[in-house]
Amino acid sequence: MLFLSQLINGLQLGSIYALVALGYSMVYGIIMLLNFAHGDIIMMGGYFALVTYAASSNPLLAVVATIVGCVVLAVAIEKVAYKPLRQAPRISLLITAIGISLFLQNAAQLIWTANSRAFPSTSIIPSITFKVGGLSISLSVLVTIAVSVASMVALTFLVQKTKMGKAMRAVSEDTEAAQLMGININSTITFTFVIGSFLAGIGSVLYCCRYPVVNPTLGSLLGLKAFVAAVLGGIGSIPGAVVGGFAIGLAEVLFTSIGLSAWTDAMVFAVLIIMLLIKPTGFMGRSMTEKV
Amino acid sequence: MMLKVDDIHVYYGNIHAIKGISFDVNEGEIVSLIGANGAGKSTILKTISGLLRPKTGSIAFMDQDITKLDAHKIVHQGLAHVPEGRRIFLKMTVKENLEMGAFTKPEATKQDFDTVFERFPRLKERQSQVAGTLSGGEQQMLAMGRALMSAPKLLMLDEPSMGLAPILVEQIFDIIKTLHDAGTTILLVEQNAGMALEVASRAYVLETGSIILQGTGAELADSEDIKKAYLGG
Ligand SMILES: Nc1ncnc2c1ncn2[C@@H]1O[C@H](COP(=O)(O)OP(=O)(O)OP(=O)(O)O)[C@@H](O)[C@H]1O
Ligand SMILES: [Mg+2]
Repeated sequence: MLFLSQLINGLQLGSIYALVALGYSMVYGIIMLLNFAHGDIIMMGGYFALVTYAASSNPLLAVVATIVGCVVLAVAIEKVAYKPLRQAPRISLLITAIGISLFLQNAAQLIWTANSRAFPSTSIIPSITFKVGGLSISLSVLVTIAVSVASMVALTFLVQKTKMGKAMRAVSEDTEAAQLMGININSTITFTFVIGSFLAGIGSVLYCCRYPVVNPTLGSLLGLKAFVAAVLGGIGSIPGAVVGGFAIGLAEVLFTSIGLSAWTDAMVFAVLIIMLLIKPTGFMGRSMTEKV
Repeated sequence: MMLKVDDIHVYYGNIHAIKGISFDVNEGEIVSLIGANGAGKSTILKTISGLLRPKTGSIAFMDQDITKLDAHKIVHQGLAHVPEGRRIFLKMTVKENLEMGAFTKPEATKQDFDTVFERFPRLKERQSQVAGTLSGGEQQMLAMGRALMSAPKLLMLDEPSMGLAPILVEQIFDIIKTLHDAGTTILLVEQNAGMALEVASRAYVLETGSIILQGTGAELADSEDIKKAYLGG
């Protein structure tokens, strides 16, 4: 029973990591950028939810404001900071992303101070607990898992079946060839950022409901763990990000449950190092060689 | 005149790759550009399709200036470019590759597919196969089929015979002739000068970024210089 409840706990955390990892992976897939500002977008989302809820006492509005806020912010960052570097070396782009990350953390600190604020988690998802046999599951856990899985199914459909999704795959595989098909690269990249930050907005609300404290560094560790999840699954791969997210979430809960909670963060990075040593392309990352 | 290239100069950083080239393609022609490795053939096609920008000079397609138009907009004008090395989407299926070829249309119609499948029956059998698992010849057919999905007015082919066995080269050139007979105007880049001159209405010979000879396909095929340099005696 304890095992089962820990498993569900791990699935909840894992589904949040998976949502965040998807944003990392999709952006990497399309412009080869490790978008280290991704976690900080989520942090900003936490504040958007907090502020909107404080002003309106409307949970739905708070959720919508978080998602819209994350999307607008991410698209603005792409336009202002990343787009001018399209032809620049990848390292310039990476350094810019780190700069944006620091900028967002400092901006949040300036606006909302460095003090942690309580997140109205129970107002957004009521704290109801279901008892199934000897197992108790909270509504928040169920909502998190259900919303994440639904988002991933919708994303898979979008990427596999829609015209825009196929264009995204084409651009991420061969930008030049995609242009020769008549695909507008810039709007495809913007679209990718919209999707990634939409998922980040959802992830932001769910994460803050699980750990109901918002502060300017909230996104750093979450972002890093999601990054590890993306690498673990094979960066650029969508199913890989999902598998990686769940793997990290489950491993973290497992570590905590055997009394090694102080070691969970170290464990996550050990996983990254081991993975990079034995299989740098990740679980699902495949390298296909061109035939002549 | 369908395509008019007027005195273009193209650079890669400091490298002056195309040094003032002018040529044109009339509706219904097959025009071949031939020349050795590094002569600048691919650079010219990439400049026409908007992947590269000329420093000076101009390019007009269907009497419209396209010199500064973005690559994806040029495709919408009816100009398709099958790049060197095919550049099909290896991780996507054959069908998805063809759909991408029809990206300029609201959607790929059954008729678009049927037209391409009629020309390349092999692609029909392999529709749901991932393109990376196709043979080299099949990949070339897919690259051409993909370009035809947009029903282009002008089709630019960059070394379609590269790396193919002689029998497949014959087959590819037969397809080029069929496409031409069906009314498609073609700009063909080849190192296989013999085949390229045989199908060409007119041809241009390129050497290190400049045109050194031009004429009808037959004239150039008979020229002693060409025989020596490109046709093996
Ligand atoms: N990306 C690039 N950066 C720098 N120089 C380049 C680049 N691409 C091509 N060049 C140079 O420009 C010149 C023309 O190259 P291009 O690829 O157009 O030749 P080509 O005629 O297509 O040759 P091939 O028959 O081998 O395909 C060559 O000297 C080449 O080295
Ligand atoms: Mg070439």
